[in-house]
Amino acid sequence: MRRMQTQIRPETAEFKQASAQMQEVVKRFHDMQDKARHQRPQRDLDRLKRQGKMLVRQRLELLLDPGTPFLEFSSLAANDLYDGQAPGANIITGVGVISGREVVIHADDSSNKGGAWYPMSVPKIVRALEFALENNLPVVHICDSAGGYLEDMSGVFAPGGRVFRNQCMLSKKGIPQVAIVCGHCTAGGAYVPALCEHTIIVRDTGAIFLGGPPLVKAATGEEVSVNDLGGADMHTSISGTGDYPVDSEEAAMILAREIVGTFPRKPRAFDWSAPEAPYYDPKEIYGIVPVDYHVRFDMREVIARIVDGSRFHEYQPDYGTTLVTGYARIWGCKVGILGNNGVLFNDSSLKAAHFIQLCNQNGTPLIFLQNTTGYMIGREYEERGITKDGAKMLMAQAGSEVPKLTVLTSGAFGAGYYGMCGRAWDPRLIMSWPSSQMGVMGPEQAARTLGDVKLAQMRRADPDLSEEAVKELRDRVRAKAENETSAYWFTSRMHDDGIIDPLDTRNMLGIALTCAAGVTPNAPHYGVYRM
Amino acid sequence: MRRILEINGKETPIWLASTGQSQVLHLGDREIPCTLDPATGKGAYTLELDGTRISLRIAVGEEATFVHLNGRAYEIGRTDPSQTLGESGGGAAQDQMIAPMPGVVVSVSVAAGDDVAEGQALMVIESMKLETTITAPRDGTVAEIPFAAGDSFGGKEILLKLEPLEEAE
Amino acid sequence: MSINKLLVANRGEIAARVLRTARAIGIKTAVLRHPAEVDSPAHTIADEVVTINGATPVAAYLDIDQIVELAQRIGADAVHPGYGFLAENAAFVGALDKAGITFVGPTQEVIDLMGDKIRARNYVEERGFPVAPSAIEDDNPATFVERARAVGYPLLIKPSAGGGGKGMHIVREESELETSIETARREGERYFGDGRLFVERYIENPRHIEVQVMGDGQGNVVHFWERECSIQRRFQKILEETPSPALTPEQRDDICESAAGIARAVNYRGAGTVEFIYAPNGGYYFLEMNTRLQVEHPVTEMVTGFDLVAEQLRIAAGEELGLQQSDIRQTGHSIELRICAEDADADFRPAIGDILLMDEPVGPGVRVDSGILDGGSVTTDFDPMLSKLIVHGRNRPEAIARARRAAQDYVILGVTTNLGYLDAILAHPKFQSGKVSTGFLADEAEALKQEPDDTTQDILMAATALSDARLVQAVENVPEIYRMMGGWRN
Repeated sequence: MRRMQTQIRPETAEFKQASAQMQEVVKRFHDMQDKARHQRPQRDLDRLKRQGKMLVRQRLELLLDPGTPFLEFSSLAANDLYDGQAPGANIITGVGVISGREVVIHADDSSNKGGAWYPMSVPKIVRALEFALENNLPVVHICDSAGGYLEDMSGVFAPGGRVFRNQCMLSKKGIPQVAIVCGHCTAGGAYVPALCEHTIIVRDTGAIFLGGPPLVKAATGEEVSVNDLGGADMHTSISGTGDYPVDSEEAAMILAREIVGTFPRKPRAFDWSAPEAPYYDPKEIYGIVPVDYHVRFDMREVIARIVDGSRFHEYQPDYGTTLVTGYARIWGCKVGILGNNGVLFNDSSLKAAHFIQLCNQNGTPLIFLQNTTGYMIGREYEERGITKDGAKMLMAQAGSEVPKLTVLTSGAFGAGYYGMCGRAWDPRLIMSWPSSQMGVMGPEQAARTLGDVKLAQMRRADPDLSEEAVKELRDRVRAKAENETSAYWFTSRMHDDGIIDPLDTRNMLGIALTCAAGVTPNAPHYGVYRM
Repeated sequence: MRRILEINGKETPIWLASTGQSQVLHLGDREIPCTLDPATGKGAYTLELDGTRISLRIAVGEEATFVHLNGRAYEIGRTDPSQTLGESGGGAAQDQMIAPMPGVVVSVSVAAGDDVAEGQALMVIESMKLETTITAPRDGTVAEIPFAAGDSFGGKEILLKLEPLEEAE
Repeated sequence: MSINKLLVANRGEIAARVLRTARAIGIKTAVLRHPAEVDSPAHTIADEVVTINGATPVAAYLDIDQIVELAQRIGADAVHPGYGFLAENAAFVGALDKAGITFVGPTQEVIDLMGDKIRARNYVEERGFPVAPSAIEDDNPATFVERARAVGYPLLIKPSAGGGGKGMHIVREESELETSIETARREGERYFGDGRLFVERYIENPRHIEVQVMGDGQGNVVHFWERECSIQRRFQKILEETPSPALTPEQRDDICESAAGIARAVNYRGAGTVEFIYAPNGGYYFLEMNTRLQVEHPVTEMVTGFDLVAEQLRIAAGEELGLQQSDIRQTGHSIELRICAEDADADFRPAIGDILLMDEPVGPGVRVDSGILDGGSVTTDFDPMLSKLIVHGRNRPEAIARARRAAQDYVILGVTTNLGYLDAILAHPKFQSGKVSTGFLADEAEALKQEPDDTTQDILMAATALSDARLVQAVENVPEIYRMMGGWRN
């Protein structure tokens, strides 16, 4: 494949200014992420120390192979919910390497609210288990949770069952799970270890019971200690709910590593070659993608800074030019890339549908780099069947059997977000860049439309509406719209798998592709294309 | 891929990683890229470290590696930390010997109050025509033996109790 | 008479060394081996390997009856005892004489005489040779302690039946005398079966100088010049050289002639060594005579060009010495290092282990007399000396340089040896200037210690990690793409 040419001039003042602005935005993201990951109430930290427990990230460092990457999902889940009381929804999920094998990790973060499950914790765990199901990856659960968050049990109850259902499905598919019980697994939480093939329980800190001693005493009057009711020795020698008692968390991690080391390796699908770093400096992405989604940029320049050797084989370069398609390699894996260069027209929609089918035919994973304000509107386009063509694109995408990965780079609006493999279309992973914005329509448009409607309502009620009242309304509506189209709003509600630094995107894609390569795609099969 | 290496009594934890071209030795905060290639001669190797090529001889023993370097012989002890932690995981907290299934006590060789050593034979039981010797899981003192020779017992009954261990500091 | 078949009643490096010469002059050879012994060079050189049995290997090599019987069975007409074991056991000689088998060494009477330190000392003193002031217990046990006191401090307590440095105690003060006597007596009982003692004036900073002598038992004796053996740890030699840097030519002649005179006085037959204590003021005193071939004989061979074992065998076959003193000249300088399995940094504690890799040094003037094989193992069954490294140079500095290079090139991996320690001795300025005494090693203990520096530590750790196959495999098991990403986190 030939190396791409670049038009970018990183030494110019405009480039440097744009880059500085984007770096500001990225820095704010990193600061938020650091806070969500590490800032914890002193009370909780003291309690962990008293209990002799490690912090969850310390446990991870012992569990994972040293010198290997860890891709964390949804680090900013619940960032604007529950008054910020549940950073990351009290859960860490992601994919890491243990004894040379990729493993999906679900770890309760007991350094905040005892690791209680808030309503948003459930979709986060469910999502991680879905990733494991889609990619046939084993799962390691580090269980240390106070159970459902008492004040919001109703939000956890019904959806929570999906966690356990997914565990059953994993087992049904022959995918092993390991549970490391370092805290209490109470009530529903008790099923996490019970549904794993290998359960390790740490003596004196780990316990599994449907109801803890206080509940038992209240219900039947029986007085029983934590250890006798559900401790390591009881479950590993009498009830058989657990498999391995250990004396310490360090020993538990070593044992878990040993267990994972016995899992079989998968053969690797897709077309791989030796990896090659991009030729152009990936850091230049900061100056290429503007912080304002209205400003256009050439997606090819972004592609050139993500793919191996900056080599890209463009397919149909002169047709449907608002969508870039072509082949490249990422960390050695041959992929088919679709990237927006503006609004989607009829030809770009058809080109997309065509290219998606092509990649399915030759078993090539698809990467969607989104930057779209949607499909073109207007009479000419309607007459030419823009909606039909968009439907064909959706049909091709839905019928895909190859893995799909999506990155929201800047704007993601309207049905264009769907067509380019949005959340509902089962990308193996979908992640957003910190400056990206998404929604049915742009925030100004939304603000204007909604503002007009509300203003009309208010004027009917009060014909003498003041200038200040109008301005206040418009400001309020716009602020809400901007907030609800930001990547942070979406990631908080688990509408994506996390916000990611543009510079980290290449590694994220490489890891996702390696995970996906464990499953050979079926032959594609599509529904009916409205021709 | 962790090890603890000991030279002249000083222990250093290390872990090994590898990039495409070479391995990297990690000790504390330091990273040392290095490669080892065989050279001609018995046990002869060339180690490339920090840009310098060093000739040495290596012989790998069970628990230590021996290196001849610059005219001197050295012994480096090797421990896999997972081995040492793994060993301490067993039966330390067992205070009770529980019958796996119903049976009969054949003989008892200790009494309440006796000090016993780990592995010491405590009693012999017979179940389903199989004789088993129950041995002490750890050093300790016998607290109670509910059964005597000739007694029958049911499954899951406690055959012998040891005094609980005191909490270590 | 000529020897037809020689049985070597010994093992390790000395057995190999004797066997090599015997083969070279066309004698059929046999060597003993205890079932517990690992393979050694001697087993491949000898024409025949004969099994001896015993509760312990050492016991087997001391079993006179069994050895004599084996010698008869295999038709050996001569036995070479090596050194140690039965080499100076008069009863063994007697048993061989009775069986009509030639003993390669002196007569029973001479062994008896020189084996008793006290008798030997008296004998030598009576004939006018210099001896150190002393007190002998046997003379009058009741007054022993008093007479010991009279010898003056510092004094040295030795077991009469002893040798090899065991059971010796230096006493510097009156308050220590009686307890040291008790201890020495107990040790004498334990090591030599004889608790009798004698006491000698202890010379501070003495040098240990010995002279190689050879006689034919028919009245002819020559000396093969001297050896200096002052480098000793715990009274045991680990480095020997010739000529001695301490002696002037006159002193050399004097001391060597004394030794020859002593050998002549007993009409000595075979190879022997007369040991002296040499005082800083130039005086010397008779210490003892060893009626056997010594461990360090090779340095004499290197400078004189003679094969002492060949001479022993000639004389045992009844030949006359046939040598004039003027035939024997020292050319150049030779140093011997005794390579022992011990940890010089841990008070010379004996070491055991498998010899995982061995590579002997080669080069001009380098000779290795080895008792070990690559792939063998070292146990506590026998004494810790593994081999001897002997070098020759045109002068002392060249010999030292060659010895250092050879010691550094000598690779023995798998068991701790004193090679590094020996190299440190050779590098020490005091040794290089020749200003040593028997206290040298103890005095310089700190200076002789070696700690690897930081760069060396890094090299050692890298080498260890990369040669640990399981560790490398665990790392290789991680898919390449993850190894290349390293410890990345998003």
